[in-house]
Amino acid sequence: MDILEVKDLMVFYENAIAINNVSIKCETGKVTGIFGSNSAGKSTLMYAISGIMMDMKRKEEMKGGERITVVGEMRLNGEDIMDIKPNDRARKGVVLCPERRRIFPESSVLENLKIGGYLASRSQAQETLKYVFTLFPALKDMKGKEGGFLSGGEQQMLAIGRALMAQPKLLLLDEPLLGLSPAMETRLAQAIKKINEQIGITILVAEQYARPILPVIDYGYVLENGGKVLEGTAQELIDNPDVKEAYFGV
Amino acid sequence: MGTEARRKERLDRGVKVRTEKLYAVSGWQEITYLVLPRLALILGLLILPLVMPSMYWQKVLCSMGVFALLAIAFDFLAHYVGLVCLGGALFTGVGAYISGLLSSSTGLSPALTIPIATLGGGLICTLLLLPCLPLRGVYFAIVTIIYPLAIVRILTALNIWGGTEGISALATFPNIWVEVYLILGMVLIVLFALRRLVNEDYGLVLRGIKDNDQAVRASGINVTFYKAQAVFITAAIGCFCGAYLSCLYGWCGLSLFALDFSILPIAATVMGGLGTLVGPLLGACILTPLSEVLRAIGTWRIVIYCVVLLSFIVFKPEGLMNWIQRKYHQFEHWEKI
Repeated sequence: MDILEVKDLMVFYENAIAINNVSIKCETGKVTGIFGSNSAGKSTLMYAISGIMMDMKRKEEMKGGERITVVGEMRLNGEDIMDIKPNDRARKGVVLCPERRRIFPESSVLENLKIGGYLASRSQAQETLKYVFTLFPALKDMKGKEGGFLSGGEQQMLAIGRALMAQPKLLLLDEPLLGLSPAMETRLAQAIKKINEQIGITILVAEQYARPILPVIDYGYVLENGGKVLEGTAQELIDNPDVKEAYFGV
Repeated sequence: MGTEARRKERLDRGVKVRTEKLYAVSGWQEITYLVLPRLALILGLLILPLVMPSMYWQKVLCSMGVFALLAIAFDFLAHYVGLVCLGGALFTGVGAYISGLLSSSTGLSPALTIPIATLGGGLICTLLLLPCLPLRGVYFAIVTIIYPLAIVRILTALNIWGGTEGISALATFPNIWVEVYLILGMVLIVLFALRRLVNEDYGLVLRGIKDNDQAVRASGINVTFYKAQAVFITAAIGCFCGAYLSCLYGWCGLSLFALDFSILPIAATVMGGLGTLVGPLLGACILTPLSEVLRAIGTWRIVIYCVVLLSFIVFKPEGLMNWIQRKYHQFEHWEKI
């Protein structure tokens, strides 16, 4: 059973094509990876799936800027979500943890997490909060600290924690390892695996550098210049010589 | 997100692409394409006073020119330097009082008082605003709007320089043609000078300050100095307007510190299109006569005025000029995906 099914998705920024006929599937309860270099269309795909693209489109329209066109099919558990607003998609369980973290820098760690838990019931929020603190013990010690003063790795933990608080069924992680040290990279990759195994959330993770993420995914896609060039299980991707060269630097 | 299988494609017109390069002078079509909008603007403004039916409408043109200048200056500071300045009233007031005091004490003619008020007033306003130049956004806006309010109170309390009465019987312009062509000529000069300025290296620094002043500072550029220069340019334009008004009325008083001079230019800029410099001129050309025409229907004037402004903000926040420019430079067609 696939929780998310994207079929023939195309995204244009004005006349430039950002996503070209991409079809991907996320199997329920599994971790799916999307790899690609800069400008491959990873973030655009994430924005399209989470619906943020609709918001961007409207804002650009209002100020007369770039025209964004999105065409294709997107189904969440078989239901068409192409025309559903981003906030309603979050309500349905599609939660994005955006690139560059986008935490609220002037709110404390605890407040950041509470804002994320807007959609959760009181008991759910408490439970998830406890879980986030067991998953990332570092956050517990700095509950009262302002988000902006956290280090990059801590901010990323916080961003993932905040996304978890929204009770996702499908968690979208956009470049969770951006700008982190190798040690932190492995820790976060393990955390992603744990989230998937312990509470059974389906995860779609987009990342440039595949090495730390590949071991934790079940299935992966490789994008290049907006198009899908490769897909396969983690092992198939690891064995592929092109992937090796391009994304492992072997 | 629709699922239609076609999208609108927006492409630059061939002639636009050609005129960006050397081919601009390759034929009449290209030259016309480049010159026509500029010529229409210049000739339009110069002919406008001649076709006005009465002296009253020529006076309206004068105040339109004032608001256009203030709006262009506001747009320059807001869009190219990133300082939202509500100090139009401060600038006009300072300019008017300098020119008025000079004229009443020494009897100098407007030909001298206006340039002195322009430069001196610009300097004074820059010095007044210098302490708050590191502030950005709403703080700078608040400080610039506090000054005119405070100065009005101070003048009233101290009862100096004519107090609430103002200074009257100042030297005026010899005739209506000087009045109207002085301000319209100034609008054209300022418009083209600023447009040139913001595209030079100097303007590049200013735009950099708007986008990220820390990065500019890291490049070894004194940000505050550049900001002060930009504020001086804006203030000098505003002071010119004030000095001009005092000579136009033969009177200067507290109403030249009125907040109209801060607010109306912003309205004109919103309507005309932020960041185009010519847009604010267009906005002023529409709003000032509109408010005169609406004068006939009394109090409803303000309501209609507000509705026009609100609908622009809600439905066309990019402003008129951006829209017109796009239509002029680009064409659209449907393309199948």
